Amino acid sequence: MKWIPAASLVVLTLPALAAPPSSVVGAPGKPAQDTCTECHKALDDPRLQGPANLAADDIHHRQGVTCAGCHGGDPTAEDPEQAMDPKKGFVGKIPAQRIPEVCGSCHSDAAFMLRYAPNIPTDQLAQYRTSKHGLALAKGDTRVATCASCHEAHGVLPASDARSPVYPTRIVETCERCHGDKALMANYGLSGQEVAEYKESVHYQALTVKNDLSAPTCNDCHGSHGATPPGVSSVSNVCGNCHLTQREAFDLSPHRDAFAIMEQPACEACHGNHKVLPPQDSWIGVGEGQVCGSCHSAGDKGAEVASALFGALDGTVKRLEAARQRVEQLEARGMLMDDAAVQLEEAHQALVLARSEVHTANRQRVEAQTSQAQQALAKAEGLAKAAEDELRFRHNGLKVSLVVILVAVVALALKIREIESRAQ
Amino acid sequence: MAEQRKVSRKTFVNWLLGTSLGATVVAALYPVFRYVLPPEVAEAPTNRVLAGKLSELPPNSGKIFRFGAKPGILVRTPAGEVRAFSGICTHLNCTVQYRADFQHIWCACHNGHYDLQGKNIQGPPPRPLEAFKVDIVGDDIYVTRGA
Amino acid sequence: MKLLEKLWRALDERYDLQPLVAFAREKSVPCHRHDWMYYFGGLTLFFFLVQVATGVLLLLYYRPTAEAAFESVQFIMTRVPFGWLIRSIHSWSANLMIASAFVHMFTVFFSGAYAKPRELTWWTGVVLLLLALGFGFSGYLLPWNELAFFATRVGTDMVSKVPFVGHWLLKVLRGGEDVTGATLTRFFGIHVAVLPMVTTFLILLHLAFIQRQGIHVPEGEKPVRTRPFFPNFVLREAMVWLVGLALLAALAAFFPWELGKKADPFAPAPAGIKPEWYFLFMFETLKLLPAKVAGIDGEILGLAAFTLGGLFWFLAPLWDKRRARGERNPWALAVGWVVLLYIASFTVLSFLGVFK
Repeated sequence: MKWIPAASLVVLTLPALAAPPSSVVGAPGKPAQDTCTECHKALDDPRLQGPANLAADDIHHRQGVTCAGCHGGDPTAEDPEQAMDPKKGFVGKIPAQRIPEVCGSCHSDAAFMLRYAPNIPTDQLAQYRTSKHGLALAKGDTRVATCASCHEAHGVLPASDARSPVYPTRIVETCERCHGDKALMANYGLSGQEVAEYKESVHYQALTVKNDLSAPTCNDCHGSHGATPPGVSSVSNVCGNCHLTQREAFDLSPHRDAFAIMEQPACEACHGNHKVLPPQDSWIGVGEGQVCGSCHSAGDKGAEVASALFGALDGTVKRLEAARQRVEQLEARGMLMDDAAVQLEEAHQALVLARSEVHTANRQRVEAQTSQAQQALAKAEGLAKAAEDELRFRHNGLKVSLVVILVAVVALALKIREIESRAQ
Repeated sequence: MAEQRKVSRKTFVNWLLGTSLGATVVAALYPVFRYVLPPEVAEAPTNRVLAGKLSELPPNSGKIFRFGAKPGILVRTPAGEVRAFSGICTHLNCTVQYRADFQHIWCACHNGHYDLQGKNIQGPPPRPLEAFKVDIVGDDIYVTRGA
Repeated sequence: MKLLEKLWRALDERYDLQPLVAFAREKSVPCHRHDWMYYFGGLTLFFFLVQVATGVLLLLYYRPTAEAAFESVQFIMTRVPFGWLIRSIHSWSANLMIASAFVHMFTVFFSGAYAKPRELTWWTGVVLLLLALGFGFSGYLLPWNELAFFATRVGTDMVSKVPFVGHWLLKVLRGGEDVTGATLTRFFGIHVAVLPMVTTFLILLHLAFIQRQGIHVPEGEKPVRTRPFFPNFVLREAMVWLVGLALLAALAAFFPWELGKKADPFAPAPAGIKPEWYFLFMFETLKLLPAKVAGIDGEILGLAAFTLGGLFWFLAPLWDKRRARGERNPWALAVGWVVLLYIASFTVLSFLGVFK
């Protein structure tokens, strides 16, 4: 009979998973009318009045879900005792541990959700149960995040609404409420620094400064409902979702297998996880502060390759800078340098590709790109020289004209002298 | 003798004066003559270029052309329509290309994808490619940039 | 030579050129220790002729619209053969012409040549200087680059400070409330048609007066030798003109005129917008004035002061009674020095960045 407790558990939870009756959940599209909101709006206690004031903006309320849809009770009763009657299912403040089930009672019901928003997924609860938050909650830890922690309980807005706490640019602040609290995070062995580190990253910059909504925020790498840090073996997959070129290059390198054996998280080993900064060419090497030095040491094969890679990149970068300055100076002096500018762009592009190829840790592949850049730079330098020659030609032409004019002036002087001596 | 020297001196001065003034006039007029003959590219580079030829652009193919110093991309869709966009990837300014296997525009640098409307559909590019106006006169494809 | 003689005889037969020849032979120019100043009027004329020639050449390729002006100047500078030379000469010659005009005006003032009977020569001269400044101001906008756009905005703003008609004047100058393509069109018309027409007419008057009255000799230099205008003075003037030409060519080749960036009306004004050097002394003076003086706008007071000062300068032939009688006038000299030092020092100091 060991299965009876388990079975009864399932049976007991079943009603909670069934969608609420239509008496408490109205037809889609029509804002809910309930006595709950009416009475609570008139109350003085802000804890009781607050939710009622948020009802007008709340997506559930606007779609016809009354307060009773989550809290139970009778939304049509005028009398508070009848409205908040436990016999009619009134629960009052929903305990943290029951929140996922309450939300899931509608949101996991595909047939039900079809009537309201067919395009919203219905797997949130299942995912949540696999997440760190869900697992901890199941063990009785009520400090972890539940649905209401991120989505709010009242005044819930769709994630696509810019005011929602789970709008892409606002997710960081939402997670930060707990994950930035060092004291709280210490209980879980987390530093509480992760969000602060993320805020220094290129991804955060892209999201907030460049307004690129496709830039990754917490949920893009960790999952939203199934929030869990990617395992060591899956870091490469996660980053590779967007950075496919670099991931494919990495897979060609000896690092892929080596890291897997050493259980090193691929991309993270060199680029970090939260504080992902713009990578610099100067990172390549075994010296102080250089990433290859974490495993390689001076003199070994890896160090040799690193040195060659850095050399190829750095040499090209310096030559590109010099060429660019030369072309800019010529442009400022009035020369048309469009063709040279095109060559400089080609060189720049080859350099960008070279930096992707660095992930293969393959000297030949990187040098194939840098030598293309060098070829384009040679052409640009040739064009710059032609422009400089043209300028020199102009200066020489001028000097010749000056000489001619000078001779004419001298001739005039002689003529004047001759005329005036004659007059004497 | 003194008279002769004086006369030859005067002749020399006259000759020098005439020659040097003449040379000055030539030196001044030569650039003017070269100037008034229009250069090969007869118009100031406005916003319109001849980007390519229809006969050299089969369906499901693309071609990079130049707008001054900047690249543009000319695309002939699989359906046969001709479109033109800025060829500068909106991510980090690499030059994009047409991929016949994807049947849309792609950037080699960081695997950015743009659809046939120039809209960024995958990868790091944050914005669509700027679209240009295409005019076809006979076999010639003219591309005009917005003002 | 034979051909020239034949041509001369043919013209003489038809038009009786003898009086002309007699006049030319008689024309003489005084010689004294200050006679170097006589060359500056002609030098100014030389630079003006260079402007007309290079200006007409630029007209072959320039486009006076906000969309194409900058590109057309860029085209001239980079694609047209010797376009860089023509454009740079045009820009430099403008500055040299104005500089030469100022020198000419001051030498005339110091030598008292404005006195009776030469009042009209002085007056046409002062107006010609103002026209030259107008050429400079209107031409500066034509490349439609950033500096020019903002300098024009600031410059035309000043006009609105004139009482009563200020705003009307502003709209007439700008072709609207703000500096736009309409302003460019208007400035272009002023620069290539209106100003050349008026200037040519006034130059002809100015020269006619001089021809009729002869060249003035400063008091205290009489009696003087003279030298014939043809060929002596002409040859000397030709030397000066050739030196001017050499200077222009050198400046154009070694210090080519910049093009800068295309004007963007919506961009914020770049720091340190200044007008061209010939307006600097007025610009810096106006900036020094306090915002309000006895309730009146400081700038209006400044403009009024400049107007009154200019009028005073203009009316020199009337208030300088001594010079009219042929006497020296140390007061007039003092006025001249004060004005010269004021303009020169403020211009130089502005360049040195003293006014911050």
